[in-house]
Amino acid sequence: MIEADVCVIGAGAGGAVLAAELAEGGADVVVLEQGPSHDPDTFTARPPQMLARLYREAGQTLTLGTPPIVLPLGSGLGGTTLVNSGTCFRTPPHVLDRWRADFGLPLDSETLDRCFDRVERALSVSEVTPELAGRNAAVSLRGAAALGWSHGYLRRNARGCVGSGVCAFGCPTSAKQHTGITYVPRAEAAGARILTGVTVRRIEVRSGRVHAVHGVHGRRADGQRAEQIEVRAPRVVLAAGTIHTPLLLAANRLGAESGQLGRNLSVHPATAAFALMDEVVDMAKGVPQSFYIDQWASDGIMFEGIAGPPSYAAASLPLQGERHAQAMRSYRHLAQLGLMVSDSSRGRVRAVAGRLGRGRMGARVGRGRMGAPLITYDLDAADLSRFRTGLQHMRELFLSAGAREVYLPVPDGVAPERVRAKDLRLMAFHPLGTARADADPRSGVVDGDLRLHGLDGLYVADGSVVPSSLGVNPQITIMALATRLAYHLLERPCPS
Amino acid sequence: MLRALDEFIAATPQPQRAGVRAVLALARRPRGAALLDRVPPLAQVGRALAGMDRYEDPAVARSLGWDADAVVARGRALRRAEGRP
Repeated sequence: MIEADVCVIGAGAGGAVLAAELAEGGADVVVLEQGPSHDPDTFTARPPQMLARLYREAGQTLTLGTPPIVLPLGSGLGGTTLVNSGTCFRTPPHVLDRWRADFGLPLDSETLDRCFDRVERALSVSEVTPELAGRNAAVSLRGAAALGWSHGYLRRNARGCVGSGVCAFGCPTSAKQHTGITYVPRAEAAGARILTGVTVRRIEVRSGRVHAVHGVHGRRADGQRAEQIEVRAPRVVLAAGTIHTPLLLAANRLGAESGQLGRNLSVHPATAAFALMDEVVDMAKGVPQSFYIDQWASDGIMFEGIAGPPSYAAASLPLQGERHAQAMRSYRHLAQLGLMVSDSSRGRVRAVAGRLGRGRMGARVGRGRMGAPLITYDLDAADLSRFRTGLQHMRELFLSAGAREVYLPVPDGVAPERVRAKDLRLMAFHPLGTARADADPRSGVVDGDLRLHGLDGLYVADGSVVPSSLGVNPQITIMALATRLAYHLLERPCPS
Repeated sequence: MLRALDEFIAATPQPQRAGVRAVLALARRPRGAALLDRVPPLAQVGRALAGMDRYEDPAVARSLGWDADAVVARGRALRRAEGRP
């Protein structure tokens, strides 16, 4: 049995930040992370191999619905910050206004700004230079400039980046400042105990407040669970991520009173188009996500850079047969652009018993058994319309940049303005909202201080508390909210 | 040593893993690929897997200007030289 002031479950964008701030503030912290600690010496810059090693379920987490969406989630110290593109946007002011008005969240701008400043300093956030952005960025930005569309270079958490082109597959230079190499070492240096390979099963409640966390640590060679772990702490912060946090709460019969637990899932569905250029692009040389085009951000349509090595491009190029082979022979001349939608669609996360394929679909998951996530999500008409518009803009942009051919992710013969939801090939990288914050306990799972409604001592600090789609990449929003929570628990203001 | 795609498939959870294996086997054969084309979502998965397999081959990737080993070696050298994590 371990005793601590605070037990943090998960070491991703929320948990790692919180653990470091609390430990440096003098709290005795224990972090329980389900995934491993990754050694950058094992990073191979080979997408399929890295999907297997750095992602949950080899990056094959899927939503069920129309269309099905691939929802890759990072695994290990750093969580999804280990495998994201490093893009850092602060929460847009109009989103914060909505959170205050619609969800009653007491988000003081001055405090939040201090939290963002603190996060950005810790992660060495700075704007990508044109040289580092590479020629893939040059193509799209040339098109945007010709059309007079608003655009710019992204701010990223990177230091000493040389443009290896594989941010999503393990940064081989450790330039990307994910929380596994920034906040986690800070937490350890301040005395936090970080345990990896721990699967949390039970959150024990006594007399209306959280008492302890129970989990299992590692596996024996015969596949049986090994050591049982109990962490007794008066405060527990759940930061297992938007998909798994609601499952752990549900398995412990916690947070269900509002009826919102597991609901309100937004994901920022996304797709990508390619263009065949006359010039050599070498899309994987440079920062894959280095620029944005926000001309239609207020309509929920955002364009951002995306790129990768040949095997990645071959897997995502929307062509078949000889046309695919021909385009891949011209890989060095291919440019790519991503389209992300600020979604009004909402999905849901539920548990199915055991692991998919081994357990019983739809069977009731017992107390203390988390089960596997069943994620449902259907694209609504408004989001379909955003994709139709966005696809047309992508074609216009690439043609304006001088593309010889444009390859849109739609079936042959289907015009983008007539595409149906089931025709779209989507991925999503920003799940949010399944334990949303709302001052009203009838409408939210946690309150404005991210404390679980109706239970003392249990807090949530990951994407699940974000109450609405952001329209921009969420990592530093989650980190700033975690920083704010840390100083709330330390009962002192966030330093300026 | 496992090929990259084999490692990817081995890490894919069931029941997707069985499906991935079956789709890949079909995608690698002309008649199988023609069968898959009747079910567009499966055809897309098959093409993605077959494409990932083919272009992960170091010789093929190098012919297209991408050398994963060189990227990794540069990263390792930078980390050692600058004391990065």
